[in-house]
Amino acid sequence: MFKHILLPTDGSSLSQVAIQKGAQLAKSMKAKITGISVMPEQKYYLYQTGINVQEKDERAKHHKLQANRNLAVLEKAAQDAGVPCETLCEISDHPYETIIGVAEKRGCDLIMMASHGRRGVKGLLLGSETQKVLTHSKIPVLVYR
Amino acid sequence: MFKHILLPTDGSPLSEAAVEKGIDFAKSIHARITGLCVVPKEYASYYDAEMPGSLKEQTEAECKANAKIHLSVLTKVAQGAGVGCDVVMETSDHPYEAIVNVAEHKGCDLIMMASHGRRGVGALLLGSETQKVLTHSKIPVLVFR
Repeated sequence: MFKHILLPTDGSSLSQVAIQKGAQLAKSMKAKITGISVMPEQKYYLYQTGINVQEKDERAKHHKLQANRNLAVLEKAAQDAGVPCETLCEISDHPYETIIGVAEKRGCDLIMMASHGRRGVKGLLLGSETQKVLTHSKIPVLVYR
Repeated sequence: MFKHILLPTDGSPLSEAAVEKGIDFAKSIHARITGLCVVPKEYASYYDAEMPGSLKEQTEAECKANAKIHLSVLTKVAQGAGVGCDVVMETSDHPYEAIVNVAEHKGCDLIMMASHGRRGVGALLLGSETQKVLTHSKIPVLVFR
């Protein structure tokens, strides 16, 4: 039924669980996976004069490293399940826009993501990016908890 | 991966489409389904003191008859697809509560529903009951549009 699942990850523990489940689901449907990690663009640093260029670069490097690490976990999960997998790393301050944009561009027919990500406050019943993906996506979204 | 999918329906066109896709999905992953239709307990006219008891009964009977039709459509589609199917009719003024409770009670591991139901205004980005199911469910939810 679904042939191509988009799995966004931010490395949070719930998103790790969603990755494992996503790989299993893809296996059971013989679907392929595209993993995506969205790094912040850090435009807000423009307004923070206290942060110098060097520090900005360092943070960007740190984000990139983290994103690659998250995607490596995803690749491993896909490999273990024997599911074809592609990963990409995008830069944006609005992860939901990127998630939806990539899903459409790559022809994904399902987005599977955790109900909460890294910034999710437990008290909030649904994470903010998940909420935004749900309201703007035209393709089905599976919310994992 | 998912073994038992709950498919709530209110008979609206989008929800009927979700039922068909849900059954396709269940078939592709060899899961069984439980169809659910929630009929209101109290009616808007409950507040209308002039409403005679007979009219209330009539409304109730109509709602139940409609629910039966929706569920029989669901059963037929499931049978056609060769998917194991079970149907439940619940009476509640808060469909989301009934949906979450039935899912737990029946041991479902996924809820699949349309982004909007009967009362959804197109302009609203996510239907109210779907939103409430998303925030209160402890099991994954797949939202169809």
